[in-house]
Amino acid sequence: MDMMLARLLVYCAYFLESSRAYQNTKRFFYDLLENTNSRMKAHFDMFMICLVMFSVILLIYEVDTPPTNLEIVFERAIVLVFALEYVLRGWLYNDSHKIIIEYHEQTQYLKIPFRFGKAMRMVIGRKIDYMLSPLAIIDLLAILPSYRSLRILRIFLIFRLFKLLRYFNSIKLFTEVLSSKRFELFTLMIFLGFIVLIGSTAIYLFEKPTANTQVNNLFDAAYFTIVTVSTVGYGDITPHSTGGRLVAMMLILSGLGVFSFLTSILVSGFNDKMRSMQENRTYTELKRHAHFVIICGFGRVGEHIAKLLAKDRKHFVVIDIDEKNVLEAKRLGYLVIHADASKNNVLLNAGINNGATSVLCTTGNDVINVYITLSSRYLNPTIRIISRANQPDNVKKLYQAGANDIIQPFAIAAMVAAEYVGQPVAFEAIQGILRKEKQLLMEAVAVLHGSALIDKSIAALDFEQRKLILIGVISSHAAHHRHRKNRYDVNDQQFYFNPDPHFILQEGDLLVLMGRDVSIDHFRNQFKGSQRRP
Amino acid sequence: MKHIAVFGYSTLSIAVMTRLRDCHYQQIFIGQDEQQTALMSAQGFISQVIDFKNDDALKEIGVGTYINTIFCFFPTDSDNVFLTISARALDPGLIIIAIVDDPESADKLLAAGADKIIDPHEICGRKAHDILTRPEISTILDNTVFGQHDLNMAEVEIPPDSYFEDCLVCTLKLSEKHNLILLGVVKSELSGELFLAIGEQAYSLAVGDVLVVLGTTADIQAFKDEVGRVN
Repeated sequence: MDMMLARLLVYCAYFLESSRAYQNTKRFFYDLLENTNSRMKAHFDMFMICLVMFSVILLIYEVDTPPTNLEIVFERAIVLVFALEYVLRGWLYNDSHKIIIEYHEQTQYLKIPFRFGKAMRMVIGRKIDYMLSPLAIIDLLAILPSYRSLRILRIFLIFRLFKLLRYFNSIKLFTEVLSSKRFELFTLMIFLGFIVLIGSTAIYLFEKPTANTQVNNLFDAAYFTIVTVSTVGYGDITPHSTGGRLVAMMLILSGLGVFSFLTSILVSGFNDKMRSMQENRTYTELKRHAHFVIICGFGRVGEHIAKLLAKDRKHFVVIDIDEKNVLEAKRLGYLVIHADASKNNVLLNAGINNGATSVLCTTGNDVINVYITLSSRYLNPTIRIISRANQPDNVKKLYQAGANDIIQPFAIAAMVAAEYVGQPVAFEAIQGILRKEKQLLMEAVAVLHGSALIDKSIAALDFEQRKLILIGVISSHAAHHRHRKNRYDVNDQQFYFNPDPHFILQEGDLLVLMGRDVSIDHFRNQFKGSQRRP
Repeated sequence: MKHIAVFGYSTLSIAVMTRLRDCHYQQIFIGQDEQQTALMSAQGFISQVIDFKNDDALKEIGVGTYINTIFCFFPTDSDNVFLTISARALDPGLIIIAIVDDPESADKLLAAGADKIIDPHEICGRKAHDILTRPEISTILDNTVFGQHDLNMAEVEIPPDSYFEDCLVCTLKLSEKHNLILLGVVKSELSGELFLAIGEQAYSLAVGDVLVVLGTTADIQAFKDEVGRVN
């Protein structure tokens, strides 16, 4: 019999392991109940919060009015939902079939008999672990009292409110703080217990024999002690003997000490959690953005880039290991992660595979830039990486590490300086345009699929009339190859400078235009809408 | 002929001098010690050690006489400010280009008399932003105007009695006739402000106006010759 059951158990375990439907169902409920990244969980949590609040309001209402049938039905439905949730969470807590499979493999390997009882004990043991976890106990307590015959348990309905713990992250944080400081709190509780024990005994001994005593038993003494120690002091019980008053004075003084100690423990607990709280805030905020840029290194260069991106209202996150830089970035209101950007998990947490479009390595140290570039490329083979090379020798290494573009601060500055010497006026002018300081812009406008620009000649578009200057066309289209004049090969594309009037535009071409922002926007909009035209 | 003096040893000094070598300017590197000048001499540049705090030494190398552009590339901002003040006092017409480390020093350098401030970090940040947001334009400009290809930006001034004097901008048709793109006009009466050619079609050119054009060296030269032709 035992053998039969064991075989059946092992068979079931392997069946579940291979069953796609089972895995998918479990995955679905995991997303619904436990997966903090899932949108479904967010909705479910909201629903449960409403349900808990509603049920508690109902309970308060029922205190002095007998429940109607509808209310009873409603109450039962809520309890049913709670019970289902409890069972599902128990199911999701671990994979029982995996325990059985592991045990089975172990017995096979060691050639010992598979014991049905032992396997079941292992499975149930884990589930009991779940049932004993604080949140599961709260869940259970929120369900049980609705069993009406246990009227005394009604007070436990308050535990429904504790259920909210599950659904609020901030409350979760509070419990985390409490549990991280449990050793200190435990010490304090023992100390407090001593005070209460000594205090109540002393009060009892001093007060009980007095003539018009208010302390009739040990409970009264303990009640008085706690009320006094906590510095609340209702005053319903007061000591009449000198000894009792002395004890009360001692209790008040020690109470002050105990509670200031308690406060300091909690404050320091929150302080310790502060950093991870802020980082959590950063991650949560990042998750809301579909596209963002990761800036590694918030030195002078990083700061400039961040400023420009912020001006464009583009989303980005800064990663820096230096405390001073992090504070500066925070002061400017940017999202910051205080960590080492060359660590894989830091980049992963920052979302390199989850919404990030580009990584910028802008530290002043080429070694670090190479390392971050390499890590980023390893983690995401398609992401755009722009890296800074402070020494010309390191450009090659950065390309090898996987950077798409390299910026050389000194080479660019030298170019700027040299151009300025040659032709200051033209240079200042073009720099002004590139910096978007004036209303003049240089922009690339793409010829999209189905756009009316396709097959149009440059002459037909009459850029002059549109108050635009066509600098050139960037294209890799073979149809243009016959235009030899003013053709420049740039990477794997061609740039046709000042194209002829009979140059015919093709899909995928990029027009490099200069003009006022309004003219460019108008032109772009005019030919964007044409996609729907027949 | 331009005579340029580069003060201070840094990666930027080497980069600028290498770039300007092709323009056939007369360049001299001024170092603070023998080691720096030896390094620059090894690269083929004329180098000299002088104490820049001494006006006589500056005069000796030609500041105030034939040097017309100086680069202040010292690593510390205070040195650059001091050099700028000294050089400006010696020659009010000198073009002074200074590098700045701390952005706060930029104003001080301008007050000291520098013509152009270069903040490598700012330029680098801008470049990264450009690559990120407008990759096409950034690559094109790098490869053509600022790069190896023979496409340049140039300024062409209208000389007195030019053939182009009193010409309407809209009648120029540079792209058809000269294979050049007219980016804008800097009017002589308004200092340094660029007007986009397209919005100023009815403007008639005056002597001293500067046309900012884009094109190949040969086309630009041909156009310059034509502009210089006396009406």
